[in-house]
Amino acid sequence: MIIDNHVSRAAGLRELSSASGLSRRGFLQAGAAAGGGLMLSLSLPFRNGEAEAADAFVPNAFIRIGSDEQIVLTMPYVEMGQGTYTSIPMLIAEELEVDLKQVRLEHAPPNEKLYANPLLGVQATGNSNAIRGAWQPLRQAGGAAKTMLVAAAAKKWNVDPASCHAQSGEVLHPPTVRRLKYGALAADAARMPIPENVVLKRPENFRLIGTPAKRLDTPAKVNGTAVYGIDVRPPGVKIATVAQSPVVGGRIRNVDDTAAKAVKGVSQIVRLDNAVAVVADHMGAAKKGLAALKIEWDDGPHAKLNTEEIARELDQGHPSFGRGGAEYR
Amino acid sequence: MAFAIKVNGNTHSVDVDGDTPLLWVLRDVLGMTGTKFGCGMALCGACTVHVNGEPTRSCITPIDSIGTSEITTIEAIDATAVGAKIQRAWLDREVVQCGYCQPGQIMSAAALLASNPHPTDADIDDAMSGNICRCGTYVRIREAIKQAASS
Repeated sequence: MIIDNHVSRAAGLRELSSASGLSRRGFLQAGAAAGGGLMLSLSLPFRNGEAEAADAFVPNAFIRIGSDEQIVLTMPYVEMGQGTYTSIPMLIAEELEVDLKQVRLEHAPPNEKLYANPLLGVQATGNSNAIRGAWQPLRQAGGAAKTMLVAAAAKKWNVDPASCHAQSGEVLHPPTVRRLKYGALAADAARMPIPENVVLKRPENFRLIGTPAKRLDTPAKVNGTAVYGIDVRPPGVKIATVAQSPVVGGRIRNVDDTAAKAVKGVSQIVRLDNAVAVVADHMGAAKKGLAALKIEWDDGPHAKLNTEEIARELDQGHPSFGRGGAEYR
Repeated sequence: MAFAIKVNGNTHSVDVDGDTPLLWVLRDVLGMTGTKFGCGMALCGACTVHVNGEPTRSCITPIDSIGTSEITTIEAIDATAVGAKIQRAWLDREVVQCGYCQPGQIMSAAALLASNPHPTDADIDDAMSGNICRCGTYVRIREAIKQAASS
């Protein structure tokens, strides 16, 4: 485990240094969302080769502001109890100038090009690098979106954008006491130029980052509506369970699936070289079907492998330690 | 064969073998995935539902044992006064970490308060000892039960 950690950490640092020399221009891509809203996607190239080969950068997170006033943040990282579904929105909301209670969260669909972790190059969450990876680009995504919303309002009012400011999901023009909600500006904002540079807030001006917040994912976790991996139900999904060879390297000699096929709800028995799967309408039937299988295993070359045998082989493999010299037992 | 079971006030007809655990009927047949699978052997409490108000491990409860009993799951526990209080306390105290065991924790806690409105620490430990939380949220669970009891 410790060795794995070092390897991935070193790889992460290499990716970080390769990403830091790239221009900001390529980080942001904007377009009109279905329904006439502003969609700002953010891209962070994760390998030098790909970044140079392709003109367009692939985005890894989305902000969606609908004309229906919905502010939807798509989460590229999985919430596993560490608060990611609150800390990642804080990064975006800080610069977008919205309150956490104004946002709705969606989980990113599987799409490595859009949602790869910039430090890992794959769509994965872990190794304590979600915030490290998202810290700069997601604040830039929020800041760029805010800049475009302010520009849209200023154009509508025919005033200097510098005389406007954004706050709690609205653009305000204090001299004339005018204000417009982000949703009302979304369609126009989608046509504003993408800012070349986004000036991020100074830490002393943070109003969300660094403050305590109620977790955004918990309401769904106390009423049963949270969707975990085991709860995903794509259309037409079947349920299966598997019996694997109890010995590494073992194979199936014979399977009698007569009784398993007769179990109500079982639809298919899938036989592989070293495993059998029972496919059913529900897990109750799948497990009952699995228990009804009569499987003869060929335990293969490791059939007689045991602890004593492993210890003997280690001794032989490391004669310099001498017997009892290595503390592996 | 077909069984008519009453879940959260609605009657459903399900055509499964009589020994099918209630858990899989809820999750895979009726699509109510709030009730969680943990161990399948009544050792962890993640699958806890109420059968006529009694906390019950649905993973080892065969469907043919239900009869006309009323099943309540995490999806509808807010309709009961203690269930709503427990959920509110869970949010106030930020009990949840990963959350996977919490439907079972909440169902056990709601059943406890329904039968014992002012439980002692020993009562709480006794009622909740069958619900395992790998994140270790036990201290907050106890605090939240006490808050719900006093609210």
